[in-house]
Amino acid sequence: MASELNVGEPQGSRRKSASLGQFMQVLADITEPTVELAIRFCGWSAILFVLAIFFFVFREAFPILRGFDFHEFFTSAKWRPDSQIRPTYGILALLAGTGAVTVGSMLLAVPIGLGAAVYISEFCTGRRKEVLKITIELLAAIPSIVWGFIGVVALGPVLLYIKETFGFAGPPMGLNVLNASLILALMSVPVIVSVGEDALKAVPDSYREAALALGASRWEIVYRVLFPAAKNGLLAAVLLGVGRAIGETMAVLMCTGHAVQIPKRLFDPARTLTATIAAELGEAESGGNHYRVLFLIGVVLFAVTFLVNLLADVAVKGIRGSDK
Amino acid sequence: MSEAALANTRRIFICNDSQGKPHLVGPDMFPSLELAAAALGHDAGGKASALAQSLKRVEIAFLEDSGNTASPTKPKYRFYYDTQTMGSDGDGTERDPWPDVPTAMAGIERMYRDGTVKPRVGEGILLERREIFTATNHERRKQRSESIAKFGLMLMALMLVAPVLAILGYLLYEAWPALSWEFLTTNPRDAMTAGGIWAPLVGTFFLIFFSLLIAAPIGVLAGVYLNEYAHDNWLTRLINLAVVNLAGVPSIVHALFGVGAFVVAARMGQSLVAASCTLAVMTLPVIITSTREALAAVPQAFREACWNMGASRWQTIRTIVLPNSISGILTGVILQVARAAGETAPILFTGATLYMRVADTGLASYFPYTPWEKVMALSYHLYVLKTQVNNAPEALTYGTAVVLIGLVLAVNSIAIVARTILRSRKKW
Repeated sequence: MASELNVGEPQGSRRKSASLGQFMQVLADITEPTVELAIRFCGWSAILFVLAIFFFVFREAFPILRGFDFHEFFTSAKWRPDSQIRPTYGILALLAGTGAVTVGSMLLAVPIGLGAAVYISEFCTGRRKEVLKITIELLAAIPSIVWGFIGVVALGPVLLYIKETFGFAGPPMGLNVLNASLILALMSVPVIVSVGEDALKAVPDSYREAALALGASRWEIVYRVLFPAAKNGLLAAVLLGVGRAIGETMAVLMCTGHAVQIPKRLFDPARTLTATIAAELGEAESGGNHYRVLFLIGVVLFAVTFLVNLLADVAVKGIRGSDK
Repeated sequence: MSEAALANTRRIFICNDSQGKPHLVGPDMFPSLELAAAALGHDAGGKASALAQSLKRVEIAFLEDSGNTASPTKPKYRFYYDTQTMGSDGDGTERDPWPDVPTAMAGIERMYRDGTVKPRVGEGILLERREIFTATNHERRKQRSESIAKFGLMLMALMLVAPVLAILGYLLYEAWPALSWEFLTTNPRDAMTAGGIWAPLVGTFFLIFFSLLIAAPIGVLAGVYLNEYAHDNWLTRLINLAVVNLAGVPSIVHALFGVGAFVVAARMGQSLVAASCTLAVMTLPVIITSTREALAAVPQAFREACWNMGASRWQTIRTIVLPNSISGILTGVILQVARAAGETAPILFTGATLYMRVADTGLASYFPYTPWEKVMALSYHLYVLKTQVNNAPEALTYGTAVVLIGLVLAVNSIAIVARTILRSRKKW
């Protein structure tokens, strides 16, 4: 009996620790699926959020859609939401404004951005490359409100001076399509450079070596070999730049001059879709027609940028496909 | 040019002001081209001197003032000689070079007398030994276009660097009078025409903190899912597409989403919470992407070794993958902080307020906002100062801009430095 007891005691403690272990085991068995479930859920959250953005923006715009005059919406340049007699919601002028500053900024940003990407990727190495990359990263980090501020206080007076000196046509102000285009170009260049550089880096070195062996100079390699090989990635870079330019809000709100009109010259003020939302949502009566139309513009913006990003994604997938 | 090449190069100066003195002024200074040609000419036996034979390159420059030998000369005329050529004579071109230096010098002198070669002051004549692998015209044209291309591309890159420096310098210059410790630590006064930026600064920190609280766990776990759990199927592709598009949604659309979802549907009202949620959704893709890249950098062998020890997938992630990639994940989170600090549009209608009276001193000044109140934010404060407040002093506005940009750049620099250090310390 005594021996049994003696044996029993350590056995008991061992059983105790075993049960603790079992408890931990059970805990682990429960934890692991729970954690994995949380991870899976978070993983899917991106899809959820994209759908949620569309859903909630559309939900606020939805009540106005019954009997809404889409023809007027897209083809009239008369944006008069505050009119007491008959408010009109035509976004043609706003579309034109967005188009003007986007095209203007891309005309500057695409050649410079791709040129800088080529230079960083193919023509420089070591410390200089690091410094350039970091500077361009910093360029990307400057907040859009600061860009807008710079456009107003620094670029605006300069453009006004140029306009007055050389006698360009347009109202006497420094805030116009050109100002917004310049600012937007600087803002969207970093994304073009970094995506463009990635695209060039993705071209296998054997392509470069083969071209070198045939006697090509580095510039010839760039435009005869790398551009054709990386054209999808470069296209994606441009499209992402376009997406950024279309969606930019605070900088264009401050720099375009805020006039609802179809801009005809570089020195004309304009207004974009994004700036209109930013400027008017605060004053629009919640639940009113004006408020809902602004959300409808949001839906349009969402659709346009979604399309541009989708195209960019397809372009990138294109190079991955051809690499395999 | 290397030492050896210099030894084979002879610079000869022709200068009229030593006229009347028939002898050499210096070792390489001649009063006329004729005498220079004679000095490098054939010896008594009709052969080129040893000196002339060793020369690879003769530069002849015409000077106005014999003391001015350091001034650069542009080689306007280029001639060649080649001792390997078969023919006796030549015309000095690359295709038909002269046979040796004395003949070449005589030829040049003859052409000078003819007037075919008429170098002005500051221009020179270059006589080179033709190398077998010398650059042809085609090659030289290629090199020229290459250097033009390189220069142009460098200019484009510099066009991006220059504005950053110019802008930072300009803002700092204008803001200098306002910048002080008091500027940071006092609240705006007198309808925002005086005082500092304490309230908006704290508001920005609150916004960053709450948005981080929401976005960091979701973003990191989503990154873990995409890199560790997801198979290459349509669902993963859809998630990737969603991440890319979430990153590309305009900030003002995020603002509309915030109003629709958080302010209206979730009944948060315009508040710190609603604004933070909006910012969190907006910055989520940055965290997801960078986490995923950080995880992908951990070698697959680490995971396989852990699995072989009997660890489960989650145990492997917890003990091996996450500790080895924490630096990269943190970099992504820091970048999110920078982005959240600078954004204006998403908080415009979800929680930012023009002005709010907060405590000036004491503990209450450090925690001035409750989650269900509106907040002041630095970015919105800058917008307000520039566009809504009529008589705000310039320096105040510039100061706000500089603090905002300084905050964002400082956070970014931390991320960059951290990344550089950690990259150099990588264990694999």
